[in-house]
Amino acid sequence: MSLVLQTIVDGLVLGGLYSLAAVGFSLIFGVMNVVNLSHGVIVLIGAYVSYILWHALGVDPLLAIPVAMAVLFAFGYVYQRGLIQLAVDRSSLLASMLVTFGVALMLRNLLVLVFSPDFKSITPSYAFNFFTLGPITLDFVRLSALGASLVLLTFLAAVLRFTGIGRVIRATAQQDMAARLCGVNARHVYGVTFGVSSAFAGASGAILGIVVPFSPPDEALWTINAFVVVTLGGVGSPSGALLGGLLLGLISTATAQYIGPAFPNAMMFLILVLMLLVRPAGLLGNAFSGSR
Amino acid sequence: MNAAPAEPILRVVGVTKRFRGLVAVNDVTFDVPAGSICGLIGPNGAGKSSLFNLITGYYAPSAGEIRFDGRRIDGLDTYRIAQMGIARAFQIAKPFPELSVLDNVRIGALFGHAGARNVAAVTAAALELTGLASLADRPALGLTVGDLRRLELARAIAARPRLLAADEPCAGLNPTETEGVVDILRQIRAAGVTVLLVEHDMPAVMRVSDTIFVVDAGRKIAEGPPEQVARDPRVIAAYLGTPAEDAPAA
Amino acid sequence: MLVDGIRAHRWWLVGAGIGLIALSLAPLFLMPFHVRVVQQILFSAGLAVAWTILGGFAGYWSFGNTAFIGLGAFAAGLLETNIAIDSPTLAFVLATLFGCAVCAAVAALLAYPILRLRGIYFAIAMLGVSQVLGELTNNIDAFKGSLGIILPKLAPAAMEPQVFYYYLFLVAAAGTLLVGFLVKVGRIGYGLLAIREDEDTARMLGVPTERYKIGMFVVSATLTGLLGIIYAHSLGYITSGSVYRTDFSLNMIVYSLLGGIGTLAGPILGSFLMVVLTQVVLGRLLDIHMFITGALLVAMVMLAPRGLLGFAENLVRRRGAGLRTVEP
Repeated sequence: MSLVLQTIVDGLVLGGLYSLAAVGFSLIFGVMNVVNLSHGVIVLIGAYVSYILWHALGVDPLLAIPVAMAVLFAFGYVYQRGLIQLAVDRSSLLASMLVTFGVALMLRNLLVLVFSPDFKSITPSYAFNFFTLGPITLDFVRLSALGASLVLLTFLAAVLRFTGIGRVIRATAQQDMAARLCGVNARHVYGVTFGVSSAFAGASGAILGIVVPFSPPDEALWTINAFVVVTLGGVGSPSGALLGGLLLGLISTATAQYIGPAFPNAMMFLILVLMLLVRPAGLLGNAFSGSR
Repeated sequence: MNAAPAEPILRVVGVTKRFRGLVAVNDVTFDVPAGSICGLIGPNGAGKSSLFNLITGYYAPSAGEIRFDGRRIDGLDTYRIAQMGIARAFQIAKPFPELSVLDNVRIGALFGHAGARNVAAVTAAALELTGLASLADRPALGLTVGDLRRLELARAIAARPRLLAADEPCAGLNPTETEGVVDILRQIRAAGVTVLLVEHDMPAVMRVSDTIFVVDAGRKIAEGPPEQVARDPRVIAAYLGTPAEDAPAA
Repeated sequence: MLVDGIRAHRWWLVGAGIGLIALSLAPLFLMPFHVRVVQQILFSAGLAVAWTILGGFAGYWSFGNTAFIGLGAFAAGLLETNIAIDSPTLAFVLATLFGCAVCAAVAALLAYPILRLRGIYFAIAMLGVSQVLGELTNNIDAFKGSLGIILPKLAPAAMEPQVFYYYLFLVAAAGTLLVGFLVKVGRIGYGLLAIREDEDTARMLGVPTERYKIGMFVVSATLTGLLGIIYAHSLGYITSGSVYRTDFSLNMIVYSLLGGIGTLAGPILGSFLMVVLTQVVLGRLLDIHMFITGALLVAMVMLAPRGLLGFAENLVRRRGAGLRTVEP
């Protein structure tokens, strides 16, 4: 029984991280139909920003979150306006996918050159403090990771719902042309959406380092994670990302616990393929309207 | 089954199509005689396009049956229906955009109605008939609306159908272009092809059709030669008599 | 139709024949290093052409064709190392047939559900399939994916191994190209073109879209598997990491895109340029291969989305020459 509870708690911690890492991918997909294959590498850049700050200046990873978000917001805005929009204009959405794939390869290569292909992790002073709650063991690091993920997701949901730019983003997601006719500068909105998306990817990266080790080749895994989260939870909303992320986290830890530690990835890809084949509309029926 | 000359090539018998709560086509029955040009008319949303989609296999009917040349075709896959000899020309032209006009038509000739054919000759004849021969090497992407409509017809003709279902081939065309399309339809019929036409351009459809079916709100409300249908009070009430309400864009 | 298509492209066939003769004689004159480079070009071009049969012609871009490299290699390797036949050549032939058959069977099983997905969803689902197979091969002991399989040496004593594999790759690549050519110039080729342009309209015109897609998926998978089996033997030793390689999946697309997507000459041209660029020109800069591939991908999409052949065609057309509608 305690093993089941422990597995669930571990799954939720990991799931919170998956949710936060995927929410930006989901937003970009929902608003501009672009599949951003460089999403995972942006997550990792966030992790390396946090790593540098902790390593060089001793900044706590949780305090590195705003820095990573600011840096990656700027990166995301420029990336969209400077490259992705051009690719979409020039040819097709498939072309935009290839461009993001190319950029992911370039950035991954750069990360390897700068930081080496070795695994890195961040271990703040409280990394080894833990407490027990009945039969469950919780450490501060993972608890703070889950807390930060949930706070940030709530924050993003609030921004989208209550602020002016949030409403415009949602309106553009629903009716691109109509929003344009209402005087919305769609390109600017796309840029901001990409910036917001990258900022939250960066935030998840900053937290990631204290939960799991990371290395540049992981970027592909984080991109595919995001895709699976969207497949499970639905596209374009923080709540969908939360649902999908938590599910993936639970599936992942349960697989490691009950099938074998080597199988979470195989299980994740299997679920991705099966979801696409059996229920491309997502569990709640709001993903992938255009898949068939 | 022996097909006597009087045998209709297409029989629609008691066909109904429901989309969830909505009844788009309600118990419609009509026969299209072989070798004729028949017009299918009705106000917007009357169910004309749904009927076309049923005949060409895009949807399966909820009830009733559709027979082509004596054989049931309702529920068959669209490509099988095409291979049996029904071709469709879309209202909104759907060319293969990156291919040339020639290749667009050639694909019609290579596929479409099953059976032996001379691809090159069929392609050339279809281009000639629709007056597109001079544009053969152009990519379909850059054609004008009128040329696209003719390409749509050319590709359908190249499929060597026995029944051509043409969805508003004159919509949005100017009088000269409309005259051209009407002329093409007559020549297609002269070559032995039966034509079923959905059309909003009343003068055009009256001039070219042998028989007209009128649908309104999913039901067939009238059938007969053009002059008779035009005088039918139900038709006038449903359609012709209230142009100001039914045709806001006109 | 097929005969007409072949006749219309007879000069291409003549060119390909001359190329084949030249390539058959080449090992007599080349240094060992260059034999290996050309062998690499043949392997890459074969993969890119096999990918093109579905991806380029019908527009179904697989992001996971390496699934069939791995599947073919492991199926053949497992049979070959467990079969009790004295003649290594016979064992190899049987194993190759078995590996190809496994690829064809798996593709046929997957085809119906997975080809209902379109665009990026098909692409990602194939990526998922390749990852699942790779992970399972790596983690289920019976497949020996992490431990690895040592494959028997096949090259006759009188022949350098790289020359032997050079000829195997040449035969496989030429066969793949021939299949691609027959598909392209025949009726199927036009049907695939129609599917690429607008699948619903194609079906409305009587193109048996499902049958064509499934058929070409199986053909593409089988040819990819064949190349994978030869590749595995040329390595002599395989692990799941050496054959289930995402960069293989990627390279097929990049090479096709570089040369010109939807053509047969394009993937060959693209493979030639990229292999020469990465192996010869930048042979010492292994560290930045990925960066170069990425940059090239971005540059091609932005500057020449129709590939080098399309770029050249635009140049020619601008000078007033006529438009050729379908180039092989």
